[in-house]
Amino acid sequence: MKPEVVVVGSGMSGLAAGVALAEAGVGVLVLAKGAGSLQLAPGTIDLLGYAGERVTDPLSAIAKLADRDPRHPYALLGAEAVADAARWLSSRVAEGPLAPYRYVGSPEQNMLLPTALGVLRPSALVPETMAAADLRHADRIVVVGFRGMKDFYPSLIAENLMRATGGAVSVRATQIDPPSGLDGEPGTFRLARSLDRPGEAAALAARLAAVVQDDEVLALPAVLSIGDPHGVWETLQRVIGRPVCEIPTLPPSVPGLRLFDTLRALLRRAGGRLVTGSHVVGTKGSGDRVEAVRVHVSGGERSYPTRWVVLATGGVASGGLTLDPDWRMWETALGLDVAGVPAPEELRFSSRYLDPHPLSRAGIAADRDLRPLDADGARRWENVLVVGAALAGAEPWREKSGEGIALASGHRAAQLILNAERRVQETVPEGVAEPIA
Amino acid sequence: MTQLQADLLVIGGGATGAGVAWDACLRGYRTILVDRSDLADGTSGRFHGLLHSGGRYVVKDPRAATECIQENMILRRVAAATIEDTGGLFVSTPADDLSYSDEFLQGCLDTGVPVEEISTAEVLRREPTVNPAIRRAFAVPDASIDAWKLLHALARGITDHGGRVLTYREVTALHRDGDAVTGATLRDTRTGEETEVDAGFTINASGAWAGRISAMAGVGDVTIVPGRGIMIAMNHRLVNTVVNRCTMPADGDILVPIRTVSVIGTTDEPADDPDELTVAQDEVDQMLHAGDQLVPGLRNSRALRVWAGVRPLFRDARSQSSDRDITRAHTLLDHRDRDGVERFITITGGKLTTFRLMAQEAVDAMCRHLGDSQPCLTREQVLPGSESGEYYTVRARLRAREADPGNDPLVCECEMIPRGRLEREMREHATVNLDDIRRALRLGMGPCQGGFCTYRATGILHEVDHLDAATADEALVAFLEERWKGSWPILYGDQLRQARLDDWIYQGLLDVEHLPDWSAT
Repeated sequence: MKPEVVVVGSGMSGLAAGVALAEAGVGVLVLAKGAGSLQLAPGTIDLLGYAGERVTDPLSAIAKLADRDPRHPYALLGAEAVADAARWLSSRVAEGPLAPYRYVGSPEQNMLLPTALGVLRPSALVPETMAAADLRHADRIVVVGFRGMKDFYPSLIAENLMRATGGAVSVRATQIDPPSGLDGEPGTFRLARSLDRPGEAAALAARLAAVVQDDEVLALPAVLSIGDPHGVWETLQRVIGRPVCEIPTLPPSVPGLRLFDTLRALLRRAGGRLVTGSHVVGTKGSGDRVEAVRVHVSGGERSYPTRWVVLATGGVASGGLTLDPDWRMWETALGLDVAGVPAPEELRFSSRYLDPHPLSRAGIAADRDLRPLDADGARRWENVLVVGAALAGAEPWREKSGEGIALASGHRAAQLILNAERRVQETVPEGVAEPIA
Repeated sequence: MTQLQADLLVIGGGATGAGVAWDACLRGYRTILVDRSDLADGTSGRFHGLLHSGGRYVVKDPRAATECIQENMILRRVAAATIEDTGGLFVSTPADDLSYSDEFLQGCLDTGVPVEEISTAEVLRREPTVNPAIRRAFAVPDASIDAWKLLHALARGITDHGGRVLTYREVTALHRDGDAVTGATLRDTRTGEETEVDAGFTINASGAWAGRISAMAGVGDVTIVPGRGIMIAMNHRLVNTVVNRCTMPADGDILVPIRTVSVIGTTDEPADDPDELTVAQDEVDQMLHAGDQLVPGLRNSRALRVWAGVRPLFRDARSQSSDRDITRAHTLLDHRDRDGVERFITITGGKLTTFRLMAQEAVDAMCRHLGDSQPCLTREQVLPGSESGEYYTVRARLRAREADPGNDPLVCECEMIPRGRLEREMREHATVNLDDIRRALRLGMGPCQGGFCTYRATGILHEVDHLDAATADEALVAFLEERWKGSWPILYGDQLRQARLDDWIYQGLLDVEHLPDWSAT
């Protein structure tokens, strides 16, 4: 099959675009260099957690942000597109391979979920397995860790949660031995895989029941299975008789992997393809259209002809953008111009880590149709759309907006391409526009 | 308030001060060593890691060259475990004047620095990354030395011999009784608690800060001109041998492989305040370009950190013609002869390679004042940890791990620090400061610069030390800020990518910026 759309990148934004297009019947090829960023992410969909103050209603805060800051990706997308994308993702996960595992929450209300440091993080959509720790509703929580697990510290989490809630929520901590039969130290993935084995969830539940008290919510590190999180979670809740929830841990992330597996399966189910190990090094094109994407393969290059390209390679952390020792910033796949880069003699970073940094908002400038703009503010390509963390104007980690921007822009890019294709088809019989070969 | 008695109070926990205390302990003096911060937190911990062969000085300062090679040979014997026997090369790059190489060779012969001319082909065989256009090369016995390991070995030696090491104690006053200095008031910089030390003798080994300390004793005119140098640690061992440019000492002319990294250094600019060492962007550019002369492509490889250290250069306002001082890399100020102040000596200047000699001269001077004729023992006495006489090798941690993988998980994968080792360090030193643990174990010094281990070490600190969460959080944020300090001026390429991944963890996942009251810390 000749792809109609090549998506470069397999993180949240690339897979959202790919799944939405494939499910609409478009031929999609997702080219990814590595495993994608989802496995680094907590697995929650944070739309907007902070806009100066902590955000309680992300949608209305996004609308305000869009008015205030026209260069922010959310200003290009609008709150409506964010709400659409959030609804869409919830529906897709619910029909995915891990169903009835699903996402819960609303784009109009942030939950406050504990981080692995015991901070309250505002999240809009979260896996059902995380929701019970919502600090807006919980009264008493017990945080349970596994002895020897180096990426989860229950007593620190508990004490910080008490501090953060001013003591309004009572949180205690304890540790249990990891499931027997683990081959090696109790790492995140090893624990999660062990719970995929028959009987393990029930055995763990029996041991957890012994440490939980009557009125407590039980919080565990996010290791409750890769293959059947709903089943394991439900088993624990049933046996223990109390709400159970997961707290995301350091990368690699089990809930992030579940989301990746879900989206990849949906893509394939709809006929899309994902080819990893594909290092995109440029394009072939003429005028204002890209005609093929060039990929570095062993021994040379390969070209994938395409009608559309969705650039979803991410920001600096994902390798989509890079800064060279002459302090010039590059977009690494297509060579697009990067906006918001301080001049070589200007400061790129503040000397204090927690202060804002001038370089943080650098990225690809785009218009409302997500077409990349060059240094003069003009569209460079008519059939390239930029999505996700490559977009300029946001500070995703500080704002807690990264997954939201990625999801909404990826989903929006799919709608824009579908609309354009529809227009082309409608107009062809009248002879107004030539179909693009 | 605590009251302590000592024969000798040594001020300054760098290599010189710890060397003085070690020497004095071996001669039977009850000694207290104090520093306002951790050991090796000043100049000693901020150098490039080179144990000089003396080759660098054979033309410019032959006397210093001879001192270096003599001390080099002594330290290899008494402190082997802190030294990696890398060997050193002096290479003439196309940008260097070849006539210098003749002077260099003659200088080595005159000063006793062992030298062997080797073919450029042999250099490229040993070190394939070195500039292939080099025209001449010499091998010398340079090595790399781990200042933190050295300081910890000295501290152990001091305490094993009845001395005391008090870190995080700032000298707030020196006591005078008539013409004599009789001790000091110390303030614990963490708790504010005060300690009075009555000391029979006081040695000021505070390096770039020596002028401030001697002023407390009422001694003026001790002017230290801090000579600031920047160094950049590259993520890999780009070379396994110390590589010097065969030219008069200049900026960016040396690349030192130490532990898992290699360090390019250095610059020399006068600084106003040794506590205010910023790194300018153009200095970074200049250093990377200079490094490219030695190892082409160095600029494009991954740079981990940049830092500045201060050489304590003494300017004697009293002496007009200072030829004597120019040839001497270090300076002993006998304040009895110079200023009429008894029982007080300042030792300053010098370089880490000659710290033992400086310490010996200072303690010899004290002994002369006290009419004590005991000989110095540090030339022969092996430091704790170096008894086997084996040099450190970069494979050591991996070899230990492979010999006994055990069940002890690695908390810091980059530097291969098992949890048990970290807990032991926390218990033994009862510190609440992750940066102290970094200096002791190299926590967070590898490629990810604390990305994973900062969180883990905080959690373990909270468990092991029974800290309250507020203190643990403060330790975490302080360590993130400390790591950022040496990172941001040099963030580009893969290291910037790494830093963004670390942001992802600390800001995106853990939300460290919204810890309760972090801003108040």
